[in-house]
Amino acid sequence: MPESLLPLATAVFHILIALADRDRHGYSIMQDVAARTDGKMQLSAGTLYSSIRRMLEQGLIEELAQSPDPSSTDERRRYYRLTHLGRRAAAAEVERLTGLLQQARATGLVPGA
Amino acid sequence: MRAESLYRALLYCYPAAFRQEYGGQMQLAFADQIAEARRTGSLLPRAVLWARAACDVLSIAPQEHCHVISQDLRYALRTMAAKPGFTAIAILSLALGIGANTAIFSLWNGVLHAPLPLVRDPGQLAMLTNPATAGMWHGRATGVRDWLTYPEFEQLRDHAANFSSMMASESFLDTWTARFPDSATEEVRGRLVSGGYFATLGVSPLRGRLFTAADDRGAAPYAVISYAFWQRRFDGRADILGKSFTLLSAVLTVVGITPSGFLGETVGQQPDLWIPLTMQPAVRPGEDLLHDAPPAKAMWLHVFGRLKPGVAPARAEAEANAVFQSGIESFYGAVASPDRRREYLDQRLKIRPGARGASETRSSFSTSLTVLMAAVGLLLLIACANLANLLLARGATRRSEIALRVSLGASRGRLVRQLLTESVLLAFIGGLTGFAVAYLLQVALARMIAESDRDFQMAFSLDLPLLAFTLAVTLGAALLFGLLPAWQVTRADASAALKEQVRGGSLGRMRWGRSLVSLQLALSLPLLVGAGLLVRTLFNLQHADLGFRADHLLLARVNFRQADYDNPRREALLRELSGELQRIPGVSAVSYSQTGLFTGGESTSTIEVEGYTPKPGEDRDSSTDVIGPGYFSTLAMRIAAGREILDSDRAATPRVCVVNTAFARRYFDRRNPIGMHVTSLGDERSVTYQVVGVAQDSRTDDLRSDVKPRFFVPATTPPSPTFLIRTTLPSAPLMTAVRRTIQRVDAALPVTSAASIEEQMAPLTAQDRATAQLAVAFGSVALLLAAIGLYGTLSYAIARRTGEIAVRIALGARPARVIAMILRETLALLAAGLISGAALAYAASRWVASRLYGVTPQDPLTLSLAIGLLLLVALCAAYLPARRASRLDPMAALRE
Repeated sequence: MPESLLPLATAVFHILIALADRDRHGYSIMQDVAARTDGKMQLSAGTLYSSIRRMLEQGLIEELAQSPDPSSTDERRRYYRLTHLGRRAAAAEVERLTGLLQQARATGLVPGA
Repeated sequence: MRAESLYRALLYCYPAAFRQEYGGQMQLAFADQIAEARRTGSLLPRAVLWARAACDVLSIAPQEHCHVISQDLRYALRTMAAKPGFTAIAILSLALGIGANTAIFSLWNGVLHAPLPLVRDPGQLAMLTNPATAGMWHGRATGVRDWLTYPEFEQLRDHAANFSSMMASESFLDTWTARFPDSATEEVRGRLVSGGYFATLGVSPLRGRLFTAADDRGAAPYAVISYAFWQRRFDGRADILGKSFTLLSAVLTVVGITPSGFLGETVGQQPDLWIPLTMQPAVRPGEDLLHDAPPAKAMWLHVFGRLKPGVAPARAEAEANAVFQSGIESFYGAVASPDRRREYLDQRLKIRPGARGASETRSSFSTSLTVLMAAVGLLLLIACANLANLLLARGATRRSEIALRVSLGASRGRLVRQLLTESVLLAFIGGLTGFAVAYLLQVALARMIAESDRDFQMAFSLDLPLLAFTLAVTLGAALLFGLLPAWQVTRADASAALKEQVRGGSLGRMRWGRSLVSLQLALSLPLLVGAGLLVRTLFNLQHADLGFRADHLLLARVNFRQADYDNPRREALLRELSGELQRIPGVSAVSYSQTGLFTGGESTSTIEVEGYTPKPGEDRDSSTDVIGPGYFSTLAMRIAAGREILDSDRAATPRVCVVNTAFARRYFDRRNPIGMHVTSLGDERSVTYQVVGVAQDSRTDDLRSDVKPRFFVPATTPPSPTFLIRTTLPSAPLMTAVRRTIQRVDAALPVTSAASIEEQMAPLTAQDRATAQLAVAFGSVALLLAAIGLYGTLSYAIARRTGEIAVRIALGARPARVIAMILRETLALLAAGLISGAALAYAASRWVASRLYGVTPQDPLTLSLAIGLLLLVALCAAYLPARRASRLDPMAALRE
């Protein structure tokens, strides 16, 4: 049940987004998150791998047996991919945040779109 | 390069499993980040990266540790739930082991080691009297003083400059009858104390005020009550302050309340109230304890001083002795004879640490509590050995699961940690349950101690030392019983060992299991031997030959002095009371004595014996008692020669006495004592008695020590005689009649105690009874645990060799032979345990030697009985699995 995992931790949500379009290794995830947030969100190695450990256990992501990029020079790097559950969890989180945003607008807390 | 090794070092802050799984990836990512930061050419990005790595160590690493621990705990809970039988045995035996340790420790620490509660800087307190004694002594003393008199205290308080303050307190707890405005009379317990009492102890009032130096000057009709009494008697009402109540003839006003938990200066006693010493004439009428009247002194006070900072006790002692001795010298200045003067002046003070306060109980219970502490320590070790054994056996059945996890990449450290988590969890649940056991046991123990010391009170309190002790014991136990099985079960060659055991798993091969069972048996034996010795001691004490008939006897003590009766009145009352008591139906004989039986009191007299020359330095004091006519026949004490004391002896001249055989042996040797003379030396006048009889030795004050030489003289006007009433009917129901008779003769005469001889003697053996009961309880638990251990190990061993046994049965072995084979193997195991156990018991028995009576520490009968019992229980425990094995269906077993 993806709903049981909500709300997602910020780092977890960012990692899900980073893995949405392609499989990535750890450093690539860090770079993607930093780029998308203009450097405002910088994942540390500890935060990243602690989140990855939890997400693997929860089945939100999976580790690939082989590098998806045949030209990759570094075989030591591990790649991660979003699972079906991961996608559903991300969608559920988006829905939750959207609902929250709508309520904020409806009550006049923030200006409407 | 340096940055990478530093980062690798930081990774050691994470749990090993996490580091092994993700450490490499984290290093790669960190190296990439550092490289990128270097490209900027600025130091700041690199500094930010390091700061974040450091933050990770502080926040993420602990999170990961918690995760691993919670995983281990969940795993442990699952395993525990899967084996409820094992879990229950484990928790129960740990609860017993830890609970017994906690309870005994609580008393051991509270009675023997803890400083006085709520006292400021207890380390600064020094005692000028003997903490191990309590009581009162009229007369003179020699050597180191046990107690001081009031004038002696005043001199020390005013002249010993090395103390910042000094106080005195009644060394024993007093019992008074008090009447509060709202109630009938009731009994209260309290102490007379000097004005500086509370200030010297450094305690502040909870409400109102405490005593001050002003209360030492003149009458101070005040009382300070304890928090416990305030709550119990007045429900904590604030309006009690300023209220007055009557205590004997005194009217006292409650001026203050002490804080909760404050006991005063004596460990194990909780007074209801404290009264200024200057009130002594009103609350202990009939005696003057505030002034020394030559030649006698009334010694009854404990004196505590607070040492000035930096003052060494030795210096304070020298100074206090100088003050004390100058006082003694002027007091005995008028004594003429230089010989006697030298004797009188041979008195001194000894300063002892006062932090732990005074306690008579402490010294008398010290051996018992230390022995019990050792016993419960052994018990916990046995419980741990038992659990280790059960865990080993169970671990073997989990080997396939563990082998699977190893092949899946789990490290050995990780597995050991997981198994240890289970042990620690078991120990913690055991420890928590143990608190309940400890509470029940401690309450029972405190009650047992109170049987031999009726003033003893000690509540079970969860203080810091107790919690720390229990925590340490719990963790220690977890490691003790968890480490070996965890290590064994996760051995790299576990699967090889498993195969080996399946193939030829005789009991002999199970090295660890066998050692643990032997260890358990070895540790149980000293407990059983100790219990046996203490039970025999108790039996011997209860059946000791007292030299008189200790049944159908009532004792009732009256106090003429408290009633303020003069000699003629005392004499008339003695006659009338004796006559009236004699007329009670069921009473066959009545006599009386000043010392009574087993009262704890004693009288001595300095004597000269005709024809006996004392050796130089020999103690010239003899025990003595003043007795009524018919004393010996009433008590059924045998007269070995001559006659007993008769009614006609009271006024006869020359005065007569009866001596006991110990007296005759010491002073008359082979001479005939009858007709010889014994002189009691007094300071003012001496009295000479002619010996008219020799009585057989009898024990009338304690059960253990040798009977002392004693002489008996006819009583004229004893101040507080004990009536000895021999009955033909069961004595207890007659007690009411006795009390009523005394009341009828003189309603104003206080009866200070009334008991049957059995009740009077119960406290003498209460401690032995308590220790013996506990030792038997601990020994039984040890025996039970040893049986469980042996049963578990054998069941496991037999399960492992089902195939072999099935083959034997298929080849025609009869059930009896199978049972015999297994029992033979068990006997080998037992022999190893019993031999080391006997050695251990022999070494440990010296500890209990001082508590034994009528039995030697190495008593062969007790040792044989203990070994026999252990053998019997062990063979029973082995018989059950052996019988099961002998009934195997070989075909079914071999098919499996």
